[in-house]
Amino acid sequence: MSELILSFEKPGLYTSIQDAGRKGVQDQGIPIGGALDKDAMYIANRLVGNPEDNAVLEVTMVGPEILFEGSGQIAITGAEMEPTINGERVSMYKTLDITSGDRLNLDHAINGCRSYIAIGGEWLTPKWLGSQSAPANLMRNDDFPSTIKAGSSIMIQASPKVQSQTYPKNQRPLYTSCYIIRVVTGPEFESFNISHIQNFFDSIFVVDTSSNRMGYRLTGMIRGYVAQTEVISSGIVPGTVQITNAGSPVVLMADAQTTGGYPRIANVILEDLDIMAQMKPGDELRFMLISLEDL
Amino acid sequence: MKIQPFGDTALLITFEKVIEEEVNQKVINLYRSLKGKKGFDYLIPAYNSLTIGIDKSIWTLQEAILEVNKTQEAAQQTSLQESHNSFVIPVCYERAFAPDIEEVSIKTGLSAEQIVQLHTALTYRVYMLGFVAGFAYMGSLPEALTCSRKETPRSLVPEGAVGLAGRQTGIYPTEAPGGWQIVGKTPLKMFDAQRTETSLLKPGDEVRFRAIGADEFKIIQLKIETGIFEMEVPHE
Repeated sequence: MSELILSFEKPGLYTSIQDAGRKGVQDQGIPIGGALDKDAMYIANRLVGNPEDNAVLEVTMVGPEILFEGSGQIAITGAEMEPTINGERVSMYKTLDITSGDRLNLDHAINGCRSYIAIGGEWLTPKWLGSQSAPANLMRNDDFPSTIKAGSSIMIQASPKVQSQTYPKNQRPLYTSCYIIRVVTGPEFESFNISHIQNFFDSIFVVDTSSNRMGYRLTGMIRGYVAQTEVISSGIVPGTVQITNAGSPVVLMADAQTTGGYPRIANVILEDLDIMAQMKPGDELRFMLISLEDL
Repeated sequence: MKIQPFGDTALLITFEKVIEEEVNQKVINLYRSLKGKKGFDYLIPAYNSLTIGIDKSIWTLQEAILEVNKTQEAAQQTSLQESHNSFVIPVCYERAFAPDIEEVSIKTGLSAEQIVQLHTALTYRVYMLGFVAGFAYMGSLPEALTCSRKETPRSLVPEGAVGLAGRQTGIYPTEAPGGWQIVGKTPLKMFDAQRTETSLLKPGDEVRFRAIGADEFKIIQLKIETGIFEMEVPHE
């Protein structure tokens, strides 16, 4: 066991520490949080011998530059950001050895939106309510350093090295700029009239630039939609698709608030939330209605 | 009661479509009986609904529905007045803390004094937490104090701000954007990440507001900072 220190020379566009999130405190109004693309997190952690929901770095659109002190192992999954170590291209979905003085660089995402960097060992970063995930807007980063800034550092108790593995190419997800996202009906589905429902499933929506870990705003709207008078505020779960008063869908993600007052037309299924997490502004999507029995 | 799948990892239980104490009490009874039970990942009690996250490694949605139905029968037999906390929350309604009191005056036809008098007259119920961590939706306000939200929401409402919206009242636990009409401010910390129970208020709790002056506001603030503040005990 040895200590591994990561120093961030560049933070990237938005890089944060994430794990499986904090479930069980939503009655206090606290978002679940956690890695948006769970599968990418699981795979990365397995490649370095970690429990699959160990803390990882979630990197968004533009990657960080990290200087390592000490030795250990890392694995990078998710979006392709052309990673290099000391200027040499390295493989994704593969266990990589790191030695002291190595410099890891992730560039711009050429496909996908979020990369995940797992590092073998126990992350000595703060924990709150059972999770090391960055608590969106709930604490100052000084009090709970979990969103990476230039000059941030992370200490990890590196675990013994595992045999290098590669995750099979044919099992890796393919990222494009156009997706079909599967949903089941939401609680207010029946309060929409048939032409609005038809329009919702006929439309191609575009991911808006204001999308983030709280939610994906989609441009494009349901034709002729008139907001209903009153929806009594009720719970939201990851993947809930709300229709705003303007008739545009918002897909709620891990950092979303726990309740909302817009009608919930549909819900993205768990498996497809990982795909949503890899969609970037400008990507297009259509919703496909499935039934729970199909799963 | 209606029970339905909510996505492929949660259930939604909905009671009568109204904002009423008796309906909300059913939500809270069920919520309390399920809290901490294995197989339920998270619970989100709201006005007339309960969202339940299901641990799919334990059971299927169908199995969870059966379990919730079983729990529901026993849950609703518990006495309605079962354990809840009562709080007195000091609020300073002076102009410096109440940027919207004039707008509320115009909308309701009440004077500032009458607004304060009415707001502090009733005991409110915490129906649910949501919007941001620790934000308690409380009600119901006296009919005369009913007031619509601001046309344009503020991009930042300060921590502790006490707002009105429709028949509801609430306190911003942290700085957040919002459209509620701000009529006062409390020095209390409604949300504190360092506490085990981060939120001071829980669904089902009772709250009464007490008007304080700017001096007492400062004193309470100092007491909180130095760790000697004690919550006021409500007396009927």
